[in-house]
Amino acid sequence: MRILAPFALLASVVALAAGDGGGPDGRLSLEEARSFTGFPLFYAGQEVDGLPLTAILRRDDGADYVSFVYGDCEATDDAGCAPPVEVQVWAACRRHLGLYERGPPFGPAVERAAVRGVPAAFLDDGARLELQTGRSTVVVFAGARGRALRIAAALRSADGSIPAGAALPVPDQGALEGSAPC
Amino acid sequence: MSLLLVAPPAPAHFDGSGRYTHVACPGTAATRSDPVNVVFGTWGTWGRAESQVETHVGWTATSGSTQHFLDHGGCFAQHAQRASGEGSRFHVRIRGQHWDSGFGWTAAAGAHHEDLVLFPFPCGHAVDANGPGGSGFDQGRDELEARFRAAGHETSRAWWGNTQSFKQCDGDYAASDGWTLFVRLHQVNH
Repeated sequence: MRILAPFALLASVVALAAGDGGGPDGRLSLEEARSFTGFPLFYAGQEVDGLPLTAILRRDDGADYVSFVYGDCEATDDAGCAPPVEVQVWAACRRHLGLYERGPPFGPAVERAAVRGVPAAFLDDGARLELQTGRSTVVVFAGARGRALRIAAALRSADGSIPAGAALPVPDQGALEGSAPC
Repeated sequence: MSLLLVAPPAPAHFDGSGRYTHVACPGTAATRSDPVNVVFGTWGTWGRAESQVETHVGWTATSGSTQHFLDHGGCFAQHAQRASGEGSRFHVRIRGQHWDSGFGWTAAAGAHHEDLVLFPFPCGHAVDANGPGGSGFDQGRDELEARFRAAGHETSRAWWGNTQSFKQCDGDYAASDGWTLFVRLHQVNH
């Protein structure tokens, strides 16, 4: 049985705004995300499509990504909920478009595209958009294709080197197939 | 003497496009609740899945909320759920899906480990947040994989990438690692 950390959401929002250090719960501050060096990070700013940035999550347990969560939702007993928008940035060595070559019925249907000048793919009827840039894979969960494209247009590098709307760096050699080193 | 012929349905396919469970129908991005992270096949009717989860994994509790699965454009309530207890526990929801001409009878499932959160306010069941052992979703899938393999069932994994994060009632977030488990079930029920 877990003893819930008091007011976890409130604490996370305060930490995000204050640039407080990331804790053992896997949350990062925006400052920590900006100085992250594992692989290049991209996010959609502190607000996008009318939704505030509400959490930054770090996961490194085989799955290797940083997640930028926008907006909020209300979870209840025995039922989690999906925030309206999420941008996950993975190391391309762990997640890449080559993983989808299996196709339906046992793999997902993929609609290949080019977005922001880099290889991309729509999945889940456009609700999910995945872009490959440099040695990162940016995954946008947005609920609908139009919103996914608006989020993609707003992506900028966390370190400030690439502004929203600019062409993204092309994938590193081997990144599309997952053969690039981690 | 009459002869009863039982034939499988016409050739069709497993529909893996519904990669999440939903709290209500119609199933939209806004009603998503858990990732689908297990598919039972070969003789994977929901009744066999239920029976063999009980036998091989030992999850026999039946409590939990109803969630819904997508299949060929429709949205349907789960057929069954099984859990390892009533408090902090493993839990799986199961929905029989379309016959597949290659994989046989199939059932989709969402498995997880969840904690019963009671303090500082009674929140209820919350899937374990991402952590060193994977999220609660990964733990539930891994437990099923280990138990079914130990019982001699063939298993494999496929990349679905359904890693969207789900906020839990305690304020934490949990997400699948994107890998879905496929388990071949046998015809014999237990």
